[in-house]
Amino acid sequence: MSTLVAGPQSQVAMPALNTVGHSTPRIDAVERVTGRAKYTNDVQLPGMLYAKVLRSPHPHARIRSIDTTRAQALPGVKAILTHETTPVVWGAGGIAGGQQYNDEVKKITKHRRYAFNNPVRFVGEPVAAVAAENRHIAEEALRLITVDYEILPFVLEPEAALEPDAPKIWPEGNIAVNNRNEPLPITQTRGDVHAAFATAPHVFEDRYSTSFVHNAQMEPRSAVAHWDGDKLTLYTPTGGISNCQHDMARDLGIADEKVRVVCHYMGGNFGNKNQNQDGDLITAMLAKAAGAPVKLEFSRKEDFIGMHGRWPTVQYYKVAVDNDGTLQAVQLRGYSGMGPYRKNSGAIGGIELYRCPNVDHVVTPVYTNRTVSANFRGPEFPQGFFGIQSMMDDVAWKLNMDPVEFGVKNMSRMFRDEVPFTNFTLEECIRRGAELFDWTQRWRPRPGADAGPIKRGAGFSYMLFRSGLGMSSAVVQVDANAKYTLFVGVTDVGAGAKTTMGLIAAEALGVPLSQVTVVWGDTDRCPYSVGESGSRTTIMTGYAVMEAVRDLKQQLAEKGMPTGSQTLVAKASPSPRLEGKVRNAFGAHFVEVEVDTELGHVRLTKYVAVHDCGRIMNPLTATSQILGAATMGVGMALHENLVYDQKSGQPLSAGFYYDRIPTHLDAPTVEVSFVENDDGYGAYGAKAIGESGIILSPGAINNAIFNAIGKRLKELPITRDKILGVLA
Amino acid sequence: MNEKLPDSPDWTRREFLAGTSAALVVAAAAAGTLEAQTPGAAPAIVVDPAVPHSTIRLTVNGVARDVEVEDRWTLAELLRDRLGLTGTKIGCDRGECGACTVLVDDQPVYSCSNLAAWMDGRRVMTVEGLSNGGPLTPLQQAFVEHDAAQCGFCTSGQLMSATALLKRNPRPSAADVKSALAGNLCRCGNYNRYVDSVVAAGGGVRSSAGGGQ
Repeated sequence: MSTLVAGPQSQVAMPALNTVGHSTPRIDAVERVTGRAKYTNDVQLPGMLYAKVLRSPHPHARIRSIDTTRAQALPGVKAILTHETTPVVWGAGGIAGGQQYNDEVKKITKHRRYAFNNPVRFVGEPVAAVAAENRHIAEEALRLITVDYEILPFVLEPEAALEPDAPKIWPEGNIAVNNRNEPLPITQTRGDVHAAFATAPHVFEDRYSTSFVHNAQMEPRSAVAHWDGDKLTLYTPTGGISNCQHDMARDLGIADEKVRVVCHYMGGNFGNKNQNQDGDLITAMLAKAAGAPVKLEFSRKEDFIGMHGRWPTVQYYKVAVDNDGTLQAVQLRGYSGMGPYRKNSGAIGGIELYRCPNVDHVVTPVYTNRTVSANFRGPEFPQGFFGIQSMMDDVAWKLNMDPVEFGVKNMSRMFRDEVPFTNFTLEECIRRGAELFDWTQRWRPRPGADAGPIKRGAGFSYMLFRSGLGMSSAVVQVDANAKYTLFVGVTDVGAGAKTTMGLIAAEALGVPLSQVTVVWGDTDRCPYSVGESGSRTTIMTGYAVMEAVRDLKQQLAEKGMPTGSQTLVAKASPSPRLEGKVRNAFGAHFVEVEVDTELGHVRLTKYVAVHDCGRIMNPLTATSQILGAATMGVGMALHENLVYDQKSGQPLSAGFYYDRIPTHLDAPTVEVSFVENDDGYGAYGAKAIGESGIILSPGAINNAIFNAIGKRLKELPITRDKILGVLA
Repeated sequence: MNEKLPDSPDWTRREFLAGTSAALVVAAAAAGTLEAQTPGAAPAIVVDPAVPHSTIRLTVNGVARDVEVEDRWTLAELLRDRLGLTGTKIGCDRGECGACTVLVDDQPVYSCSNLAAWMDGRRVMTVEGLSNGGPLTPLQQAFVEHDAAQCGFCTSGQLMSATALLKRNPRPSAADVKSALAGNLCRCGNYNRYVDSVVAAGGGVRSSAGGGQ
């Protein structure tokens, strides 16, 4: 480990640019620090009503009847919806199976999710909604609704749900179906693992599990809906105004142009606001029924149980290695708890990062009677990398190898050992991280060797994350005063997208950022954008901005600057593709912990995060993304879990206090370093950033804890009781 | 009913409300930004005469006001929905997250966990009162430069807790800041940036590495 050399593949010439690549405060930073930024719940319309949702208190029950007569009679109540009055399918809520749903899927799907469902299948599922003159009347009206439930048996854990005698959540069984109604696991195989297990000198097996972690953005879900004739205006926190518009139109059976979605500011996304939500549908339908604007506000508890979080997983690994530490076979049997609807894939990522001739990967998404699971920042990777990288750290230790060397030796330099990457910088990320972290000094060759009750240790993990290309749009216009206006359908979930889009436009135009006005967050004013999910905005919409500017410059060359009240307008909707290559972001995290073996307390004493996110558009906001996501991962590693009472099926820790998201006192100082490069794709070579930072924290922290105490933790979150348990 | 506002005997409540909302609309339009197109600021709730209510006199951002409030209203409801000061955010409405932090007589409090009626005779400052339309305070400026606000939803609360800290400890260390802001959650996890901002506003040196600048 004394020679730290950069990987040769990453040495790509990258000349500096004028605007892109320079730390720039957000264009809306002043609005954010003066209280002027308007979020959804700050919208107040004349005559606006307030909505509240009645939610199921049972994990599984059939509704025999709902009596709303007393609530209807309460003065000030203007509309009440139930599954009987409003049999509307919430398309994005359950039949997607990890893919964008379409009309065909909507037609054939058996496991439909409605805005109101009967039977109800988790505690917190909407049963009825009320719009009233103020929020106090709306709350009172909920208390006056009588629901007669037939209580049904329930199941909470994915493995238990696959037992033959488990309660059936759907008539076809508890394996979550894909968008062709097939109850199939997600599989990936190559070679013959069984032959390798029979002959390899070392075979190791273990079980790892991860918990349901809630996105828990600071802004509770809210929506404001207003109908002007047959046109709906919906103010809602969505990371994809175009997707939300399209989903709303489809669910309501109206044309896209009859829906306007507005989202200027939103208080965090992290993956559970990408499309339309049931709250959006309910608010729009209440506004229609009441003939007045309606505002819906979720409580914090409702947000925890009514909005989806990260799917919990159980992961069984079996790994075969040679005497020199070369991987021969990896097998994963995984189970993901999806809640009762399949809102996303339930995949478990990570194995693809290892070079291995024999792979057998079978992950089964399973229905449970818990809050629904779906996208949460880096959807399938923080779980998967926690499992596989804990497993591999353990294998390295059992072979008496340095885990960094073991990792470098066994990482795949081709995607799934088959397809080349556009560039491959993982080794450079690892080497640089080891150097910045001083790995050889901090890592203990003998785990748990420190004397005394406070023990230190170091851990590391590494990752890849997709950074593919795709379709998005942008419009740019210039007037006679050389004022440029950029129209992009982005919202700003917190990553700084509108500033980034402005920077890219300014760079491409060759003008200062101050000469560019950015218009965003309104489907009536902005073209289609891919939406702020999958860390795609900078890559895809950013590239569309470059293409629109290219068109505008051509028009300017032909026609000259506009005069008088004229403007020149250029629109681009590029759909770039990668041929024969895969594009990924890479990263490596190094963590040092101090474990108090008497109290079970873990303190992070050093944290280094090295990432290849391609060329960095704005180092200021890019760094915030990484250090913020790493900190969020600390919560997943050490605290967060939506705990359920096994006997009653009730969620016990819905809220910030019991879920214990990280505070100022938990946050490590994160040192961020970027391995910059330009592979020639995306906007100026930009790759994914937003999700990368969270993927590695749980694995790296777990490995550091092992290095400190010499005992391997296998279940997230690694709470104090578990640490004291393995030490007892 | 024809309620008189005690400090403006010639105004009915209806006229007062109309005047307030008109002024706020003008202010929003003058800003000339895209946000001005987002409706807001007009009082969204009024006192229901059928429920217990009181008239209180308080100072909000330096301006003395007499306001009628329902006894069940929280301070957050009064500020956001009655006075149109929506810079104060509600993240949990049960004293867990600190997004709604405001200053009452210079002390940081959770406005979701205080009743409006308790504010009689008190001095309240919200995020809107920090710069009051003028230049940013050094703390706000430090927040801008250090990228303290990611999504921005917890930012008002962090600013108010930090303002209170700087009043009693003008040159705080990173440890002082973490301790003083421990009741202000940030799900974006941008704690390093917040600490750096407050330390810098106090004239101190950057503490957290963070890098990237």
